[in-house]
Amino acid sequence: MAIAQIRSVIEATGRWVRFRLEEVGRAGRFLGQLARALTDVRTWGPMATLQMRTLGVDSLPIGLLIAVFTGIVLALLASYSFTGAVPLYFVGTLVEKTTTLELAPVLTGLALAGRVGASIAAELGTMRVTEQIDALETLAYDPEAYLIVPRVVAGTVMFPLIVGVAMVVGLGAGWVASLGLLGLSSEEFLKGARLFYENFDITYGLVKAASFGFAVTVIGSYQGLQAEGGAEGVGHAATQAVVYSAVMILVLDAFWAMTWLHGRSG
Amino acid sequence: MKRSNDFIVGLVVLGSVVGIVAFALWLSQANLGSARREVVARFTDVGNAKVGNSVVIRGVESGHIESIELESTGWVLVRMALDHDVKLPGSPVVLLSESSMFGEWQATIMDRAAAPDDADVQQQLAQSGAAGHGALPGARLPDIAQLTAVAGRIAGDMSRVADRVQVAFDDRAAVELRQSIRNFADLSSELERTVRVQSQGLSQLSSDVHRTVTSVNATAMSLERTATRVDSSTSKGEIAQIMGNVNEASADIKATSHDLRDASHSFLATQQQLTSVLTHADSVLGKIDRGQGSLGLMVNDPSLYQNSDALLSQMRELVAEIRAHPGKYLSVKIF
Repeated sequence: MAIAQIRSVIEATGRWVRFRLEEVGRAGRFLGQLARALTDVRTWGPMATLQMRTLGVDSLPIGLLIAVFTGIVLALLASYSFTGAVPLYFVGTLVEKTTTLELAPVLTGLALAGRVGASIAAELGTMRVTEQIDALETLAYDPEAYLIVPRVVAGTVMFPLIVGVAMVVGLGAGWVASLGLLGLSSEEFLKGARLFYENFDITYGLVKAASFGFAVTVIGSYQGLQAEGGAEGVGHAATQAVVYSAVMILVLDAFWAMTWLHGRSG
Repeated sequence: MKRSNDFIVGLVVLGSVVGIVAFALWLSQANLGSARREVVARFTDVGNAKVGNSVVIRGVESGHIESIELESTGWVLVRMALDHDVKLPGSPVVLLSESSMFGEWQATIMDRAAAPDDADVQQQLAQSGAAGHGALPGARLPDIAQLTAVAGRIAGDMSRVADRVQVAFDDRAAVELRQSIRNFADLSSELERTVRVQSQGLSQLSSDVHRTVTSVNATAMSLERTATRVDSSTSKGEIAQIMGNVNEASADIKATSHDLRDASHSFLATQQQLTSVLTHADSVLGKIDRGQGSLGLMVNDPSLYQNSDALLSQMRELVAEIRAHPGKYLSVKIF
């Protein structure tokens, strides 16, 4: 009896390892197919602008809304932290640095992970469970080139643009909040904002945003293509897409900080 | 529908790109189109100065640092973009320094004569100026960390000195110091009193001198009158007669003085002899008084008197015996 239980535990462990390896293999095969499909520009090109509008342009409002409130909160938070110890014009420095380097890319990325990742996973999952993707294959369409690549390209291109606009709007919101709520003059806020500004700040934020866009769209597409079992499977795929996208955004954030930001002196 | 998507996406992409680029240029204070004046300065060390830091002339922000380059010769060239209409001082130098305690640096362009009179700064400026033309001499002022380190050392020294003072300045030292202060107060009072007395004395002396001067003036006037009279008397020969009489009197006085001097010398010798006699007499009398010598013994020993007296009595008895019985004592035989 005991031997049978031990055997079942070992089998479960082996099965878990096999599933994980299979998943890694599927993901690798998916990325390989994606890279191959990237060369089929004639297929994905016409679809790209539609996806760019759906994933990018239509996501601008949520990105800007997040940026506005982020800028206001940052200004107030900096003012609260600096009171009596650090000159208030450093509010501009903190708003500029944190907005461009971290908060605009990460918060916008997380918001878009929910909106874009879930949308892609649900759409592709529905197509999978309703066998529309099988139909495309039957009609000699490359599903990766026709469905996945336009979304991945759109996400990779549009995420940095949304984040860039969010940087501008976030700094502007912090500026307005500093003028209206903190009593800072424009000269003081801009002095602080320009004090330690480098073009690297924006470059770093945009590159991070591009990596977030790529990760969110790839994860959403992969989860959608893996959906099975009807509406429940589609919902599960959408949930998995959002969760994995959010985790991947934070992982990539740490990755870029360790590989690019760490050790870099102003 | 597709064309509408293309337009909207294109619009958003272009707008975003333009907005982001403009945002970056605005934050970095990039120079787009406006005329700027470039000034280059040479430094041995630029500290924590960075591209974008302010350039200040006479306290007014007039530009920013555009680039910092490390030359192969070891110098650091700092290029600064200044407003076009900015006028530089006559002999300009550039000083890099912290503009606040929070790590901000700035470049200050000033006249060489106005540069801090610090040996290190002057040396940096001299070396930079001697390195060649085409760049302004530059120097870096010590940053806050260096200053606080120096202040820390000074504070440590002060602490050690305070400790030593505390060791040296015990209760006894305090008492002695208090006593010294009191003594000094007494001394100052005494000095003040002395000065007051001296001042009074000086006042008296001054008035005496004044009176003396007055007397001298009066005397001088009298002398002047006398001289006038003498002058009028000389015409009758009285002066010559007086002078002759005076000469005679003077000769007499001189002879008398000579006699007196001889008498004085004789008197001095006599006095010395008398002193010697008195000394000897005193010595003899002292010996006699102390019982030294025969005379002293005679004077001081009563037994001698008694023996002499007894001898005289015995001799008187002997003479009487001889008178009474001459044959007992005298036997005269002839043949």
